Amino acid sequence: MPVVFLMPTIVVVLLVMIFPLIYGIFISLFDYHIGMKITSDSFVGLENYKALLYDKVLHRAFLNTVLFALLANLGELTFGTLISLTLLKCKKGIADFVRGLCTMPLLVSPIITGFIWKYMFDPSFGLVYWILGFFGIDSSEFPGLGKPTTALLCVAFTHWWQITPFVVLVVTSGLLSIPEERLEAANLDGASGIELFFLIMLPALKNVYYVVLIISGVDTIKVFDLIYALTQGGPANSTLSLSIYSFREAFEVYHMGYAMAVSVFLMITAFIIFGLPFIHANSSQEE
Amino acid sequence: MIFKKKESNFTKISTVVFILVIVIIDVVPILLIVSNSFKPSLDIKTLPPNIIFNPTLKHFKTVLSSGNFDIYFKNSLIVATITTAISIIVGIFGAYGLWLARYSKWGRKVSDFILLGKLVPSITILIPLNMLLYSVKLNGTYVGPILAHSSVNLPFVIWLILGFIKQLPAGLYESAQLEGASTIRILVSIFVPLLLPAIGSAFILSMQYSWNELLFSLQLTSMDTYTLPVGIARSVGAVAIDWGRGCASATIAMLPIIIIGFIMQKYFIAGMTAGAIKE
Repeated sequence: MPVVFLMPTIVVVLLVMIFPLIYGIFISLFDYHIGMKITSDSFVGLENYKALLYDKVLHRAFLNTVLFALLANLGELTFGTLISLTLLKCKKGIADFVRGLCTMPLLVSPIITGFIWKYMFDPSFGLVYWILGFFGIDSSEFPGLGKPTTALLCVAFTHWWQITPFVVLVVTSGLLSIPEERLEAANLDGASGIELFFLIMLPALKNVYYVVLIISGVDTIKVFDLIYALTQGGPANSTLSLSIYSFREAFEVYHMGYAMAVSVFLMITAFIIFGLPFIHANSSQEE
Repeated sequence: MIFKKKESNFTKISTVVFILVIVIIDVVPILLIVSNSFKPSLDIKTLPPNIIFNPTLKHFKTVLSSGNFDIYFKNSLIVATITTAISIIVGIFGAYGLWLARYSKWGRKVSDFILLGKLVPSITILIPLNMLLYSVKLNGTYVGPILAHSSVNLPFVIWLILGFIKQLPAGLYESAQLEGASTIRILVSIFVPLLLPAIGSAFILSMQYSWNELLFSLQLTSMDTYTLPVGIARSVGAVAIDWGRGCASATIAMLPIIIIGFIMQKYFIAGMTAGAIKE
């Protein structure tokens, strides 16, 4: 009986996820360009995957992607936790109001977020440089999106702007679920704010961080829209992510087989970083 | 409140400053873009930004008349609405099915791992899906983005609704069954009304995803079916950006979803934070 209700889900997942995925992996075994017929002549086995090993651009894209995910997630978890702790000290009305405003960036499309910050980071009329000017910093000292040294950091900053509010909301609900008595007892024992955080709150937030990483952390590995709007992967490939690289190979060079190999590599990367810890935690929960 | 200790004036003031800075960083960029869309072109490139200016609708007019943003708006509305309807209806059935199977081994495994679908990158699905749609001549129609968005939304909607079903009072199903209600009837007349808050969350979250999604729509649509994010991506990618037009089109694309999000804020936040505090 349960299977009947699951039927529509199974159909959608098979049709739009599993089947394309298998077909895609199949394509990655061919030297396939768009418009060609797939024949046994173009079958290359694992050659596309072997080529990944020697592709310097791919290595760059891989490093960028992992570095971006690291920067983005670390920043968001740190700032998000800091902001939600601060908000808990404020009056309820103010805190609720600020949290309400927080939802705004979350509702904005990533492509528009990229557009907004491309404007903000513009060296001649961007607000960012106006503010940096007060600290005596100009675009030669902080080249922003224009130079390879700082471009990836600016993309990560843009991601912080959009996703930190999510962490604030989730961490707040995690903190509010800590039983009051436990905090009170610690307060009576004379624990300092810092002790309170590390001994009681942080352990309670473990599960929260986990959900954050699974729900939004995974998206950082797949980043596309923000980069597409901000830098298109440049300057000098310094913000090229695996998704952008695969997209370029597929829809600009029409090198489908290789593009597919790149995207399968991306999927495996996502799986190793986020999937394995998830499976591990799930199976240890059952025991 | 979590912190009870008395605070010095210094910490109080720095808290206020900190919150103020956060709010400014949060809101100003959006307000700036919206106000830019009403500014004459020259006023957009001034530092600090002009607060007083002669408002004009020039950019909106160009964006709507020659920029086709009225058509993109309609396309986005169609794609987002149908996607949301499919995700919610199929999702409710799916969640119910998994809940019914909660005592069986496979049921538990499936519901534990349903979120693993999130690990499959859009680009990995997009390349083959694009070719498959091409071969059945459905490329460039609404079918592509709707199918793709639904398949991305579905696992999340199921996970969200399943979480809510688990919180319903125990024995609800059994007592209805004793009164002779069929499985489907129990779902429609008992579960669904109780699940309305969860459905509200699923609605706003899947609307927001589909309205804002770029990568699938970018490749699976054609001139007639471009959605708003695609329209914006095409203008942002241009060598010399027309900031006035860009700001007007960004405003057209983001204001509706921000407004709906604010109206449904309770459900939006509930959906976002669901699962964070399970167990």
